[in-house]
Amino acid sequence: MIPSSLRITLIIAVICYFIIILYFLKQRALNLKYTLLWLLSGAVLGILVIYPDLLSHIIRILGIEDNMNGLFIICIAFMLMIMMALTSIASRQNVKIRQLVQEIGILDKRIRELEQKQKQERKNVGN
Amino acid sequence: MDKKETKVLIIIPAYNEEENIAAVIEHLNSKILAGVFAEFSAVDYLIINDGSRDSTLEICGAQNFCYLNLPINLGIGGAVQAGYMFAKRNGYDIAVQMDGDGQHDISYLNDMIAPLLEDKADIVIGSRFLEKEGFQSSGIRRMGIKFLSFLIRLTTNRKIMDVTSGYRAVNKRFINIYVDDYPTDYPEPEAIVTAIMNKGRIMEVPVQMHAREGGSSSITFGKSVYYMIKVTLAILVCRLSYGIRR
Repeated sequence: MIPSSLRITLIIAVICYFIIILYFLKQRALNLKYTLLWLLSGAVLGILVIYPDLLSHIIRILGIEDNMNGLFIICIAFMLMIMMALTSIASRQNVKIRQLVQEIGILDKRIRELEQKQKQERKNVGN
Repeated sequence: MDKKETKVLIIIPAYNEEENIAAVIEHLNSKILAGVFAEFSAVDYLIINDGSRDSTLEICGAQNFCYLNLPINLGIGGAVQAGYMFAKRNGYDIAVQMDGDGQHDISYLNDMIAPLLEDKADIVIGSRFLEKEGFQSSGIRRMGIKFLSFLIRLTTNRKIMDVTSGYRAVNKRFINIYVDDYPTDYPEPEAIVTAIMNKGRIMEVPVQMHAREGGSSSITFGKSVYYMIKVTLAILVCRLSYGIRR
């Protein structure tokens, strides 16, 4: 079993965690789409801390002896998932930036050509 | 395809090529002026300045070259792909990519385009190893190229000698494919796998290459280990992902 003093600490920690996420969401400093995984992991941790019997049950099924170790492993698993999601987001943004840069290059050439044409026309009018 | 109705775009990616680019374009222009490509409807070139930090952009502007300016360095893959985008939008039938460092000789252009015109190939690679003439690269690099060639043969059952050659000509179908799907970083071997998986017919044509005239190659010794690992993985991943999609 998890000692009750630790349970209280963990419950406070999870509450703080949610407050911080909600604060960022309210400030629009976080995109809801990207916080879904954070909210999910917070919810799972919250449930496990509130119902420790559930935690020890799941942990036995996984074959882990110690409750605290189980909690750590679950935390690490969520962190890995979030990091993988971040890498995938970064990769997709990389593709989008590449497309934008290519588009800018092509537009830049069109603008230069238009400017040249305009200059030519002005000259012709001047004559 | 009839030569008279064929528009050709020569894509020249350039990153920090202030020492070479003017000579490359002057050589190209002299051939165009001499009427070597007069039978085509149009033969244009397009420099892609890939966020160079030297005076490549200033040279292009001052000499009134035809160029795209990418504000951020994308790497050669992204730069070449920008060229393919330009080719697609402006209705070119054939795109030829050649390096901006003077390694590739424009004199071979007609040889490279011929198989595309006769519809014998979708992609033509200028290969320095078919007749083993001209600049052959250093021994250790040749070993690396042989290994990549072997790897592509192993995964796709197609024999291509000069897998790292950046001197290529592709037809309209592959201009469209490369606009959507062109590898980044060190793209040449991977682009071959992409082409094979899209059922492209690849042909190699013998060319002679020169040692680069100035500046330095983008692949230094320190990067070559990373290069080999990255390209090997990229070929395997590319082969696998297309295998699943089919």
